[in-house]
Amino acid sequence: MAKRIVINPITRISGFMEIEAFIENNIIVDAKTEGLLFRGFEKMLVGRSPFDAVYFTERICGICSTAHGVASTMALEAAMKVIPTEQGRYLRDIIHGCEFLQNHIRHFYQYTTPDFIKLPENYPLYVTDHNDFRLPEEKNALLVKHYFESLDLSRQAHEMLAVLGGKAPHNHGVFIGGITTQASTDKIIKIKSILNSINQFIRDKMIPDAYTIGEYYQDYYHNGGGYGNLLSYGCFNNYAELGTLYVDPLAYKDGSIRPFYPSGISEEIDYSWYSDDTEPYMDKPKAYSWVKAARYYGIPFETGPLARQWLSGEYRHGISTMDRTIARVLEAKKITEVIGVLLENITPDVSVQKEYSIPEAAEGEGLIDTTRGALGHWIEIDDRVISFYQIITPSGWNLSTRSGNNLKGTAEKALIGTTIQNSDNPVELGRIIRSFDPCVSCQLMYIQMVGI
Amino acid sequence: MIEKNPGICPMLNASSGTAKNLIEKIKSEIMRNSLVKRDLIWLELTGCSGNIISLLNGSNPDFKFLITNMVNLIYNNSLMAAEGEAALDALVNKTGSDYILAVEGAISTKNNGLYNIIGRWKGEPLTALKAVQLLGDRASHVIAVGACATHGGVSAARPNPAECVSVQSILKRKVIKLPGCPCHPDWFLGTLAHILLYGEPELDDRDRHLLFYSMLIHDRCPRRSYFDNGVFATRLGEKTCMFKLGCRGPVTRIDCPVRQWNSYVNWPIRDDTPCIGCAMFGFPDSMEPFISYDTTRKR
Amino acid sequence: MIKSEKTICQRMKQIIEESESNIKMLFKMPCIYARTSVLFELSANTAELNELCSQLIENENRQVQPTQSNITIEQLSQFTGKNGNPAYVAVNGIVYDVTNNAAWAAATHFGLTAGKDLTDEFASCHAGHSILDKLKVVGKLI
Ligand code: HEM
Ligand code: SF4
Repeated sequence: MAKRIVINPITRISGFMEIEAFIENNIIVDAKTEGLLFRGFEKMLVGRSPFDAVYFTERICGICSTAHGVASTMALEAAMKVIPTEQGRYLRDIIHGCEFLQNHIRHFYQYTTPDFIKLPENYPLYVTDHNDFRLPEEKNALLVKHYFESLDLSRQAHEMLAVLGGKAPHNHGVFIGGITTQASTDKIIKIKSILNSINQFIRDKMIPDAYTIGEYYQDYYHNGGGYGNLLSYGCFNNYAELGTLYVDPLAYKDGSIRPFYPSGISEEIDYSWYSDDTEPYMDKPKAYSWVKAARYYGIPFETGPLARQWLSGEYRHGISTMDRTIARVLEAKKITEVIGVLLENITPDVSVQKEYSIPEAAEGEGLIDTTRGALGHWIEIDDRVISFYQIITPSGWNLSTRSGNNLKGTAEKALIGTTIQNSDNPVELGRIIRSFDPCVSCQLMYIQMVGI
Repeated sequence: MIEKNPGICPMLNASSGTAKNLIEKIKSEIMRNSLVKRDLIWLELTGCSGNIISLLNGSNPDFKFLITNMVNLIYNNSLMAAEGEAALDALVNKTGSDYILAVEGAISTKNNGLYNIIGRWKGEPLTALKAVQLLGDRASHVIAVGACATHGGVSAARPNPAECVSVQSILKRKVIKLPGCPCHPDWFLGTLAHILLYGEPELDDRDRHLLFYSMLIHDRCPRRSYFDNGVFATRLGEKTCMFKLGCRGPVTRIDCPVRQWNSYVNWPIRDDTPCIGCAMFGFPDSMEPFISYDTTRKR
Repeated sequence: MIKSEKTICQRMKQIIEESESNIKMLFKMPCIYARTSVLFELSANTAELNELCSQLIENENRQVQPTQSNITIEQLSQFTGKNGNPAYVAVNGIVYDVTNNAAWAAATHFGLTAGKDLTDEFASCHAGHSILDKLKVVGKLI
């Protein structure tokens, strides 16, 4: 008989999630990832002023709020036929880049490392329930030191964001046309100097720390693989003069990389708590999560730092729990370089704002790769207010439920087949799930959309 | 006319330094070993978990100082090392002893709270609703952190699909309210410091900490002279008064203009955008539209 | 329903009284900060006097064109504060101009919009407050 294991809460993620797994002979034979928070943003947005979508959707998520601001702005620009200037795009992408850095530093140190290193237990916050800590004492001590040091750096990443964005989380800077304010030279210099210290920290500490963990947890290069299908909507790409600084919209499957087509996206709700007319419906048989199942031509795909690093050719060591973590810290470094290039190309004091007016009726989509992966916002405007809003988040891909054809979600698939050392203390589950950087705050789908 | 303004009154100035002063005081109490660390539980409920991120952005003091010198942080979903039932142990075992409870996020009441489950205890789902009921009454102080916890905020925005309510609507006791989306780290840390040193701080008639929530943004806004002279911005990015674009500074009581955000580098109006009233009760529904371009501009 | 000459003159007298006592205080005040704040008050007083004088003059002019005094609910609905129209709201049968009232940014106030009779809303939010005195009256709702 299979043994059933339930872990809830999965701490050190944003939002609330449960894993349910079945273990036979120490191997996970089945798993479900369950998102346990529902707020219904897409319903809330209906009837509001389209301009308000930017600041409103940021409130979906506290750790990646800028991502939603960017996607929402892009959807609005598409609907209003506003083409942002290159300067506007640079400035907006700098803000977005700062959010990447804040996110990746916090995810690596505050969310991931406590799985692998022993933090001082005289803090009640760091008391743990298992003993699978493998780093030798002095290396462990070094990483603990960096855990606390990293707090300064992630705070500074948000400080850098606020220099252009007003405040963080939930910035005011990202808006139609680029950003609201101008980059004066004092701001540019301030960002440069913070960027410099973050870059040093990532290079000298964060990347070596990730490899140190990898060295002592070699087995994690061999679990958590999943389907191995990778996808990105692209980010820091397609600039008129600078070309692509990071990654274009691409998809990887069966060993080959192809361009990504937005028309292949669909979302299914067979196993999610929604009725056929997409109202919340918790009594639905078989359903087990608020998360829906995002699919690309009907197939689950993984998105996020590893997908981007792979698709852009920066890192192709493998697809596993540890590779995901390594890819995240390497990406952090890449982002500091991208921000550096963008900063070099900023013309100081350029204002990119205009007086905008809302069209009577319009629709638009904003697809962008952000910290955790592919994020899409779709907006429809009627009678000058929002008449429809749809959001598919990265966790809608990575933490998706099964779909109608019974294909499991990417993270579910990644769990299955894993060997559990001690089924009374199945540390493997949380470690694998966290490598995806789940964000259940973001999971709040409402309206079904197939083949947008 | 007055030729030269000798500057701001030093008394006023002192009161805007507040959080920092309180922390200095805490530091000296610690040096004298007279401050006793208390237990703090930080619940993340129906919301975006952005207030804990904002707390990590605190620099005066920072997070490490908080958990090393001020409190024993017993529970926080985003940061604690334990997971699953072992994590909940800390919560459930806490109900007998002394602790301060901070709550971010609203409380979803739909379907008996099942729209937001924060853990599973002995096989049973622990809803946000149940957690607040369980821990709220016995805490020595309850602090509602951020818009959702203080009045429902964005989680309760029309049509409020998850039927979210504030912490106060669940608890019959006094709840200290720190509205803001998110809550500035100083507002929370200053309030906590006050509790540790002197007990409950002075609150206004809606239980906001007066130290931070007494003045209108409009009263201390650096763009006030533009307002008074009727010079209004027509688009974002301009340096004049944001009133005609929909600025909520005139109805929002909070100290953003003097405090500023993220190590005190900037704030929304300085970023050339209108205040959207995120620290005022009623946000977001009562503060919308956030941005309007078609407002009449006659004087 | 324009402020009468009498109320304006009464207010002017009040201001002059206040100013006189302020001037007396200034002679005795040791603290430079307090002195500055009194001086600011004085300059606010002269500004208000100035405003009142213009109102007196305006009143003269208005008597020649007594339009606007009666406003129907349909007419009121045009005054939304958008696209060049001023922002008017009616409370207890009186129509007020809130176009430049700080609390009514973008002609909206706590989810309320201008161009409407907001008597009930006012009663539920501001009962007993004397804030309406500060608003410019534009007419009667009929
Ligand atoms: C939904 C109902 C309403 C709510 C919740 C509300 C709330 C408020 C609040 C909180 C303030 C003061 C901000 C502060 O100083 O702290 C205020 C000021 C003001 N409100 Fe309202 N209000 C409502 C309806 C109205 C209506 C119908 C009017 C019609 C004229 C109005 C006119 C004003 C004015 C003129 C001020 C500025 C007061 C001053 O100069 O001090 N309000 N309102
Ligand atoms: S920008 Fe806003 S807060 Fe500042 S003066 Fe203008 S209306 Fe007042």
